[in-house]
Amino acid sequence: MTEAVKQYLKILRDKEYRTKRVEGGFDISPLVENYEKHGLEIPVIRFQEMIKREIPILFENDPFGFHRYQKKMPTFVLKNGKESWRVLAGNITPNYARVIGQGFDRVRDEIHGYLQSADEEQTKFYHAILAHLDAITDLAERYRAEAEKQGCKALADALTRLPAQPAVTFYEACVFFTILTYSLRVCGNQHMTIGRFDQYMYPYYQHDIQSGKTEEELLETLELFFISLNFDTDIYHGIQQGDNGQSMVLGGFDRDGNSMFNELSKLCMEASLELKLIDPKINLRCGKKTPQWLFDYATKMTKQGLGFPQYCNDDIAVPGLVALGYDYEDALNYTVAACWEYIIPNCSFDVPNIQTMDFPFVINRAIHAHLADAKTFDELMQFVKQAVREECDVIIDRANNSRHVSIPFLSLLVDGCLEKGKDMTKWAAKYNCFGCHGAGIAPAADALAAIKSLVYEKQSLKKDELLAALDADFKGYSALQNELLNCPKMGNNDDFVDDIANELMAEFSGYLNKKPNNRGGFWRAGTGSAMEYVRLAKKCPATADGRNAWEPYGSSFSPAITTKLEGPLSVIQSFTKFDMTKIINGGPLTLEVHDSVFRNEEGEKKVAQLVRAFIELGGHQLQLNSINRDTLLDAQAHPEKYPNLIVRVWGWSGYFCELDPEYQNHIIKRTEFSV
Amino acid sequence: MEKGIVFSIEEFSVYDGPGIRTTVFLKGCPLHCMWCHSPEGQSFAPEMIRSPNGCLHCDACIKKGIELTGQPQIVKESAAVCPRNLIRQAGDEYSVEELVVKLKKNAAILNASGGGVTFSGGEPLRQPRFLNACLKALDGVMHRAIQTSGFSSPRIFSEIMKNSDYFLFDLKLMDPNKHLYYCGQSNAVILENYRILAASGKEFITRIPVIPTVNDTEENLTATAAFMKENQVKKVELLPYHKLTGSKYAMTGRKYAPEFDETIPPQLHPEIFENYGIEVNVL
Repeated sequence: MTEAVKQYLKILRDKEYRTKRVEGGFDISPLVENYEKHGLEIPVIRFQEMIKREIPILFENDPFGFHRYQKKMPTFVLKNGKESWRVLAGNITPNYARVIGQGFDRVRDEIHGYLQSADEEQTKFYHAILAHLDAITDLAERYRAEAEKQGCKALADALTRLPAQPAVTFYEACVFFTILTYSLRVCGNQHMTIGRFDQYMYPYYQHDIQSGKTEEELLETLELFFISLNFDTDIYHGIQQGDNGQSMVLGGFDRDGNSMFNELSKLCMEASLELKLIDPKINLRCGKKTPQWLFDYATKMTKQGLGFPQYCNDDIAVPGLVALGYDYEDALNYTVAACWEYIIPNCSFDVPNIQTMDFPFVINRAIHAHLADAKTFDELMQFVKQAVREECDVIIDRANNSRHVSIPFLSLLVDGCLEKGKDMTKWAAKYNCFGCHGAGIAPAADALAAIKSLVYEKQSLKKDELLAALDADFKGYSALQNELLNCPKMGNNDDFVDDIANELMAEFSGYLNKKPNNRGGFWRAGTGSAMEYVRLAKKCPATADGRNAWEPYGSSFSPAITTKLEGPLSVIQSFTKFDMTKIINGGPLTLEVHDSVFRNEEGEKKVAQLVRAFIELGGHQLQLNSINRDTLLDAQAHPEKYPNLIVRVWGWSGYFCELDPEYQNHIIKRTEFSV
Repeated sequence: MEKGIVFSIEEFSVYDGPGIRTTVFLKGCPLHCMWCHSPEGQSFAPEMIRSPNGCLHCDACIKKGIELTGQPQIVKESAAVCPRNLIRQAGDEYSVEELVVKLKKNAAILNASGGGVTFSGGEPLRQPRFLNACLKALDGVMHRAIQTSGFSSPRIFSEIMKNSDYFLFDLKLMDPNKHLYYCGQSNAVILENYRILAASGKEFITRIPVIPTVNDTEENLTATAAFMKENQVKKVELLPYHKLTGSKYAMTGRKYAPEFDETIPPQLHPEIFENYGIEVNVL
């Protein structure tokens, strides 16, 4: 780590930069003349007014700048007193590379070309983009002047050309990236993912190497850039601190099966290993052809306990996406959303998390409604499957009601919009699909397995007794609850329950996949839960797997947290029995391994072999966490001792001590039976 | 068919031999080492254990014991009344076939990693007929390792050795009297088996749990190194004592009261082994 990196890291860690901010959030209502719901006027005015009030903040030798001055976005109050909806698009990997490689001047030329033959609507759209470009250009100039004044030479120098001219060096490309993401956030966009940084930045990397820069110099630039991603994340997080969408996807394979893991990919991993920061969140694309050394190297990251990298399996994801309806080239280029949803970069406005199938709830409801009538377990499963299909229909209806405000600046970064002269919220992107999470698949299958075993096979449990116990949340039924908890559970490589899980997934994905949505796109079923393993679970009464009412499910595609696990070998086999190409919206298996397995290189190598085994079995996504229960408990009791303890939460890593207690408790609970 | 008593089966054990392994812990041990970290492996009889993690301290388990035996203890029936499902029996009976079927489910992963199964304990050699039958049934199915204190008759030791691929052999203390004091038995037969193993050409690793003030003296480690050299052994693994060792005693209803001071860091003295040309690996 160089001195410059250490210095920048210190500025970040001191958090003093946050004291330089003002609240912001002033009311732009008086400036709005022709209010049109979802129209272009509000986004333009809001952006202009916000940018106008931003004041350059620079630290000693600051290489990037573009720190937020105003914490809050401007507000706009409707005539009826309600504040206008501010949530915009998220979980998109924009085409940064195109603009970084063009510069604003050429973008403007292109737009002026389109304006020649534009109709009125298109003209409004183009002018909205131009207004954004002008505002950014103005702020960049103010930053340049300030950088010059304060002696931030590199930045001042870069800003003499950027953003008007295209970036030439790797450093300039990173500065340009910073300007774009800063601007997107000022527009109010959240969860803008970084995507395949190692691919679209590779030409700049190569340029620098060819012009004589050393790998060490580039590592320094990269590390400074990574540090810059960690500023201001307290302003633009999602549900929890840390949930900010800055996922980076490394590696992958091209159409001939050649590895695309390059020198820059390796450098990104090196930087992340050295810095130990929660951003960027590292995802590694891999497959059967991934060499063992790469798994070994990636395991060093797992060892650090950041929850990186998350593994994505190209062998499963690419054919799965193609089967859904994506073009092969687009599928090959996949990235992940803020957490793990597979998305197509540059050209899509998919909403991969628009709804959630709450499996335990839906199945519990079906059990209550139909258990009495079902003479056999097969009959019960027919009712259950019907309930899954009906819920899919409800989900489709609910999603069709969602609307978006116009987002012209993000539209500039999504292919197709500029050419069509249409905002992405008018479906100008190539893909406009909906993804649906599948939360709690394991506890739902466990509940059915318990019923199959005790009610139908052993016939030791009466239907009305079970229903009464569930209604009573097991109060007065502790022996029965215990018996239910000891029935076969998903995660222990037991076909008795795994087959039921497979049937649920087959029904869900078979029914929902490829169904058209109201945006010209299609539906995709997945295995994720996002925060719903806590949030929806809080509304789910007691279930027949022995789970108490309101208790959480496992996160995403994981065993129930009350399951006594045989161990990771059984877990990875249970969770790879289904053909995962068929349920490819995303949602990883989460495995916790005790940090003692990392005591030496031998242990590390075996963890890497475990990852390989998962990939070879056909698993689609894996989050591997190194965890020590005693450390977590101590951190909960003495947060002051662990300011930098990082844990993987549901699709992202966060500082343990900044999480709400219920998420902390869930992580601790996961370790009770962990290996 | 032979039956065995197993107190735990652990998947993905990474320090019990080459590759990814499943470790089968056979219950019962003739030694009683003062630092034993699996007290539930000592007795041959099944016993009930309660995991402390997540315990609500509702005492439903203890009340069941009082109800059935008049004693405040955890009994077999306690398992079914624990609302958190934290009580289990350590000591399940397995037939050879049951165990082999279970192990085979993971065979592909174990074999792909160059791993296999490790029989540990307790002292696995204390269930020789069951162990031998398992080893024979797994011949050609997966790599078979034995983790042992070496305390068994040389006849049994040689028989087991013939049917396995790898050994992890403990050398705890060289002085027979001290060995008797700290481990409950003399080490004569252990050293004899060690000689048999070293002379056999079978692949094995020597392990020393390094216990502060007990066996981390220069005198003991020098004697160990000399003995290893005499047997032409070139590699040793040192397992420094961890304070967590005592953590499982409470859940078996035992008290952990070592006579040595466990707060003193163990002295590893790798140089002693290196002077004898022995490569040291610390776990």
